[in-house]
Amino acid sequence: MKDSLVLLGRVPAHPDSRCWYLAWNPAGTLLASCGGDRRVRIWGTEGDSWICKSILSDGHQRTVRKVAWSPCGNYLASASFDATTCIWKKSQDDFECVTTLEGHENEVKSVAWAPSGNLLATCSRDKSVWVWEVDEEDEYECVSVLNSHTQDVKHVVWHPSQELLASASYDDTVKLYREEEDDWVCCATLEGHESTVWSLAFDPSGQRLASCSDDRTVRIWRQYPPGNEQGVACSGSDPSWKCICTLSGFHSRTIYDVAWCQLTGALATACGDDAIRVFEEDPGSNPQQPTFSLTAHLPQAHSQDVNCVAWNPKELGLLASCSDDGEVAFWKYQQPEGL
Amino acid sequence: MARSQDMFDAIVMAEERFHGEGYREGYEEGSSMGVVEGRRYGTLHGAKIGSEIGCYRGFALVWKCLLHRCPAEKDSKKVKVLDSLLGMIQKFPYDDPTYDKLHEDLDRIRGKFKQLCSLLNVQPDFKIPAEGSVLSF
Repeated sequence: MKDSLVLLGRVPAHPDSRCWYLAWNPAGTLLASCGGDRRVRIWGTEGDSWICKSILSDGHQRTVRKVAWSPCGNYLASASFDATTCIWKKSQDDFECVTTLEGHENEVKSVAWAPSGNLLATCSRDKSVWVWEVDEEDEYECVSVLNSHTQDVKHVVWHPSQELLASASYDDTVKLYREEEDDWVCCATLEGHESTVWSLAFDPSGQRLASCSDDRTVRIWRQYPPGNEQGVACSGSDPSWKCICTLSGFHSRTIYDVAWCQLTGALATACGDDAIRVFEEDPGSNPQQPTFSLTAHLPQAHSQDVNCVAWNPKELGLLASCSDDGEVAFWKYQQPEGL
Repeated sequence: MARSQDMFDAIVMAEERFHGEGYREGYEEGSSMGVVEGRRYGTLHGAKIGSEIGCYRGFALVWKCLLHRCPAEKDSKKVKVLDSLLGMIQKFPYDDPTYDKLHEDLDRIRGKFKQLCSLLNVQPDFKIPAEGSVLSF
């Protein structure tokens, strides 16, 4: 297990500050990082090393908490504590801020693009989740403001193929939303975590959702459509989500992020104990009650809290992580033999 | 003999009896005071919710009027959201404080109002109180 995560490189991405979040572009060639220095940096390879291709400054007045690439790879959205979300347009190697989305009352915590590229979701400390529609002229229009959470909303993520949105909150729950007659509605609440839910990740099929929490566990939820063979009760035509697996006892501090590799199905976590861990589903385990094994554990991956882990969407086993120490690290994950 | 027994009982049971009487009197007084206090609390919070929704309604009606005066194709979405907000405000059960989705509906109205402000590109000059107006006991 020792050699299953190998360090490829490390860059001081946001020196003297925290690095909060990372996002690979859909082609897997560029990595965007954001941090407490109010900047977004774009990283690419030159030979064997990672170099900073561009710096996106002047967009935000405060910490940039999260970044997200549009599915086409031509736009980057950045969510900031200054209550705004900036949309940056890529032209060759340069980025230009084309729109600033306002409306949240305070810190924007997360931003995510729907798979179609026509919808964008943001969430904030003001407890709301906003859904925006993008038209052909790069105009953004708010289509819904959802006040379902009772506390700070930490993260938003879209289903990989459907227009289904998930949000995680300080109120210990995960909520799911779908469109209904010109508006969006909360269609499910996932209860089980005993503390703040920090991040979410769908598996490649979109049938399962992983959530990680301040309660030091990762929970795996599975979607059961109405009339499912397993007899899980559904209300109306909405599918039910049931927790089918809890990974507990592995993490010694808050788990800040979880990433489900869309290529291999490996599950990586970023933890407040400075470690990165990778889990894999045991072959032949019951799909209704799957079991996962810890296949990699790197105790001192960073010198401080690990805030984010991100699998490269194209290159098998390439994992990026970032930390409160301001650094971004690149890792090669090798699946242990016999799995 | 029987009389002295009664007297004896009266003395022995005195504490219990007075305790019971005191409890009853206190309970009645407390109940009526509680009703008064609850009524005051309810009036206050009901008025807050009423004035908040009234604000939204006034805002929406003025904008409906403004948009109606110079109809434009690009405004159709704004009008739709406006009408949706006005519909929600109309449907809100003002005379049923026991309606179980009261806060849910109120949050939906607040969300719709924020969406409208965003579409109209205006900053509302009144703020929703930070704690919302969720009743807390």
